[in-house]
Amino acid sequence: MKFGIFFEISVPRPWGPETEYTVYQNCLEQARVADELGFDQAWAVEHHFLEEYSHCSAPEVFLTAIAMQTKQIRVGHGIVTCVPELNSPIRAAERAAVLDLVSGGRLEFGTGRSATWTELGGFGANPDETKKTWDEYVRVIPKMWTQERFGWQGRAFSMPERTIVPKPYQKPHPPMWVAVTSVGTEIDAAERGLGSLGLSFGGVGEQAHKIAGYRKRIQSCDPVGEFVNEQVNTVSFLYCHEDDEKGITTGQQLAGTFNYLSEQTLATRQAYPTPSYLSPGLLYQLRRESTGGPEGRVPEGLTIGDPHRVAQAVARWEEAGVDRINFLLNVAEMVPQEDVLASMRLFAKEVMPQFQEAKTAEPAEATAAGGA
Amino acid sequence: MPLTGTRDLGAIADSAALVPNLETEEWELKGAQHLQLHYELGGERTGLLPPALHPSIPPTLLVNVTHVPESEAGAFTFATVRVGCRSGARPRGLLVRGYCDSPTAAAVLRERWGLPLEIADVRLDPSYARAATSVTLDGTTILAGELVDPQPITGADVQYMATLALARVARDGEETLLIQVDPDYTFERAQRGTARLTAFDAEAWSLPGATAAHPISASLTTVDMTLPRLRYLVHPEKSPMQAVERLPQPQPA
Repeated sequence: MKFGIFFEISVPRPWGPETEYTVYQNCLEQARVADELGFDQAWAVEHHFLEEYSHCSAPEVFLTAIAMQTKQIRVGHGIVTCVPELNSPIRAAERAAVLDLVSGGRLEFGTGRSATWTELGGFGANPDETKKTWDEYVRVIPKMWTQERFGWQGRAFSMPERTIVPKPYQKPHPPMWVAVTSVGTEIDAAERGLGSLGLSFGGVGEQAHKIAGYRKRIQSCDPVGEFVNEQVNTVSFLYCHEDDEKGITTGQQLAGTFNYLSEQTLATRQAYPTPSYLSPGLLYQLRRESTGGPEGRVPEGLTIGDPHRVAQAVARWEEAGVDRINFLLNVAEMVPQEDVLASMRLFAKEVMPQFQEAKTAEPAEATAAGGA
Repeated sequence: MPLTGTRDLGAIADSAALVPNLETEEWELKGAQHLQLHYELGGERTGLLPPALHPSIPPTLLVNVTHVPESEAGAFTFATVRVGCRSGARPRGLLVRGYCDSPTAAAVLRERWGLPLEIADVRLDPSYARAATSVTLDGTTILAGELVDPQPITGADVQYMATLALARVARDGEETLLIQVDPDYTFERAQRGTARLTAFDAEAWSLPGATAAHPISASLTTVDMTLPRLRYLVHPEKSPMQAVERLPQPQPA
């Protein structure tokens, strides 16, 4: 089991002149500390217009800053919205290649399509098309990275032949992922040989079923890239504290606040009737799974509480077949920065070694050829 | 903390429906035709909502017109214009004024669900090429619009927001409250198209300053609609976290 961190970069009102600056600086410090403590990946979302909930609209810039101040931690571009109105596939490939170069080959490339009308409508994108454009993007971007000359006549976009430069540092290219929230996307990931970047919080039993389906289907996949990236990530909140009750209370506040802020946005399904967004998506799952535990109990899989409780939750994810948990460390700055860092340090000291020791006793895993 | 509304709904509650009893029984309306025109709301974000509600991101304007071909109140058509918002984390549409073409049906909807309906000429005219609607009050068109280029979808693709209707409730005196009306829908047919509003008199809907800024979608469905027992109230002047009141429900047998 490996551990990463996951940035939404939520910025609470009231917004003063220093608010966004402070939040960004806190996140950068968390990434530095994560690198020192042995967390192996730092992911940052791409969101637009999601006020308070996520001010992370230029993740490639933020991730470059992380890469420049760290030594080991890999940087997860997660996810690049594969919708032409938001990102040209050419620019996405170029930016990713540069990030991979300047980070010394530490890029993980996540893909997705956005779930909100707030974002899609803001850019004038057609929700009916996003699954199709995503599919086209994940097939052409690795070709842009690996072919000296590339041209394309497609549905989402076309271009005459050009030499797309630069090429990524990792050869043949960085590991590719897809955000999995909608039902069935884990199979989309498997069929294309992509890593599964799970973005639902908690719900271990349901995730275990999805992971089993993913593992089975990926064995016979037709990879869109040059290699199969068979890995499963999930996301959870982390608040680890010596006092179990304090850890639980604070962690549940994080989950509740996250849910509250995210629900203020307009889900595509709420605004635009389309078969392309049948699943209620991340927000509903999040509410149900992260705050829907039995009365008085921590929902299964939420990594909050004292180190013993957090280790139990991690073990449950490990049993379910997850390779890595990426932790959300703070929401809307409700936890003071020194407490966030203390939580990370306590986790690294008390919990992380239990799983690293377990890992060293196992055979080497066969994942991410061409990756880390 | 997300933005919250600033409007004093008490100031416009005089014309709201008076609900004498919150023990409302369900009412099934079979074979209703339901048009929704969904727009992004222009103008100031918080001025149309009370402190209990957050504007959604972005705030929206929901035009809904329902034609009921037969019921115990006869055939009727009613129209509402709601402001898309959030009650805590829940998606809702605030309704402060609507119109119905049947005094009998309007009286039932006012008394049992608190829907603030006045009488006007309300039309819904679906055809294969479009579904047009209009509301005319005292000879003046206060709403006109249409769904154009309908394409078939399924009912599973459609998601309607529950209504919070401004009402006066007779309970320990008279309170100004928002009554949650969250019908159940069984879809027979559904179509999606482009929304087009050609007339919208915001004042007539008691939404001063509201504009339909940007069309999102339009849908036309044929549904069996069941207006439910009342389950929740919202106290408009309270903060969102304290505003929702759950009503006692009958225990299952």
